[in-house]
Amino acid sequence: MSIRDKYAFAGVGLTQLGRLPEMTPDELATRAIKLALEDAGLRPDDVDGYIYQGGIGGGSSDTVPLQMTGVPAAMVWQVTSLGSYANVAVAMAIGAMESGLCNTCILLHASSATSRRSIVPAGAVGNTPGAYGWYGPGTTAACMARRFMHLYGLTREQLGAVALTLREYANKRPEAIMHDRRITMDDYLNARMVIEPLCLYDFCLVNDGAVALIITSAERARNLRKPPVYVMGYGMDHSLRKVGKSPEAIHHFNGFVTEKAAQQAFGMAGITIKDIDVAEFYDAFTIFLLSQIESYGFCGRGEGGAFVAAGNLKPGGQLPANTSGTSLSWGYLMGFTQLTEGIRQMRGEGGECQIKDAEICLVTGLGGMVDNGSAANCCILRR
Amino acid sequence: MPEIHKELPAINASNRPYWEAARRHELVMYGCCCGALYSHVTECTACGKPDMKWVRVSGRGEVFTFCVYRQAFHPAWKNDIPYNIAYVKLDEGPILISNIVGCDNKDIYIGMPVEVVFEDITDEVTLPKFRPVR
Repeated sequence: MSIRDKYAFAGVGLTQLGRLPEMTPDELATRAIKLALEDAGLRPDDVDGYIYQGGIGGGSSDTVPLQMTGVPAAMVWQVTSLGSYANVAVAMAIGAMESGLCNTCILLHASSATSRRSIVPAGAVGNTPGAYGWYGPGTTAACMARRFMHLYGLTREQLGAVALTLREYANKRPEAIMHDRRITMDDYLNARMVIEPLCLYDFCLVNDGAVALIITSAERARNLRKPPVYVMGYGMDHSLRKVGKSPEAIHHFNGFVTEKAAQQAFGMAGITIKDIDVAEFYDAFTIFLLSQIESYGFCGRGEGGAFVAAGNLKPGGQLPANTSGTSLSWGYLMGFTQLTEGIRQMRGEGGECQIKDAEICLVTGLGGMVDNGSAANCCILRR
Repeated sequence: MPEIHKELPAINASNRPYWEAARRHELVMYGCCCGALYSHVTECTACGKPDMKWVRVSGRGEVFTFCVYRQAFHPAWKNDIPYNIAYVKLDEGPILISNIVGCDNKDIYIGMPVEVVFEDITDEVTLPKFRPVR
């Protein structure tokens, strides 16, 4: 039984993004939920499902935001704190609504990342990559960039084009963290290296903030305040499946495992990539965005650098993408950054970054990025 | 101020033979009859007909990719900056995360032939690392 167009997003509630040390994740979550209810024109007791995710540095609890907002959720689920889980939350919510577990569900991400004390506990026993000094997916990203430079001649200027394109979008979005900070290619090329060959501008932002998204049935969404944003399909895969057959595939060095995810999503949606008007790629790092453009088939393997450098991600290009500046320049709320912007584009709420006549949007997620494989997934939205 | 130590590997039932071999300065992997090799006990996902045991591997391989940390992400590594992380593809196929030692970071390149060396960290823990083949 197809779920295509049966469910739609009806509410978006976004807090301020940035350094917010006075607010706990529970307070951020509560504010986002209230904003989302107001946006949708719903009362707390109209909602009966709650799926929440915490960010780096910890997230909100299950009970406190529900107590503070008075949302009587019968279903309270937590998804893990990885980049792929926004799309997973969509699949969970739709699965739950299909089976009658709930009718209207809040998907929430809250994070106090700037308050975290350390990336990992010092001196802990039991971290094999850490024993070698491997800390975080930036390592995978830097090593991936190095492979692309070796195999395809990817240049720093091409990675810089990703950073600059997204910064230009953010410069036109008042709520974006980097709204007031312009960068040039010289700034990019001269920026300090973090994990070589990736520099400061290749890494996404680290910030506090929360977003709540309300999803419900299409009929219900049509009767609420805002234009509904329908879910056409979604799909997912995990690189751990490849272990044994292809060691390099675990780390996505040959490209992200998007093939099965795309087949599922585009199959459910009944469309092809030619129908995608705008895309929101998970961009924890510039190279991840670039590699996904190739993995999803918008250009050939090794052609992503030239594709971006030619301006194709900009308005009017072949594939307007990451239209708020997303994780690199707008704010990092794991995959909720991309999902939120996808919903806004489909509603026509992109402001100066609105892609004209955009009807169908691809939203991607990636998650894990350690030595044991990670997920790639996507969902397709339409207005 | 308490001293901050580098982390140690996660040694558990699924990979103990790997680390015990490393202490003996041997590189072993958990291998299947089909040729797939793993650094821990598992069912083979390559062939679906697992017939597996721990086997010694040559310790030879090449640099598949690498990066150089220019910022410390963990305080115990501050004094090692700049240090490299390499993904080494063993001649037998599997890829290990490690460090390249015995040369400057600027001399490392994709495809560089390497061989395993063993760095004794504690009485219990030895880390396999790799150096350029002379």
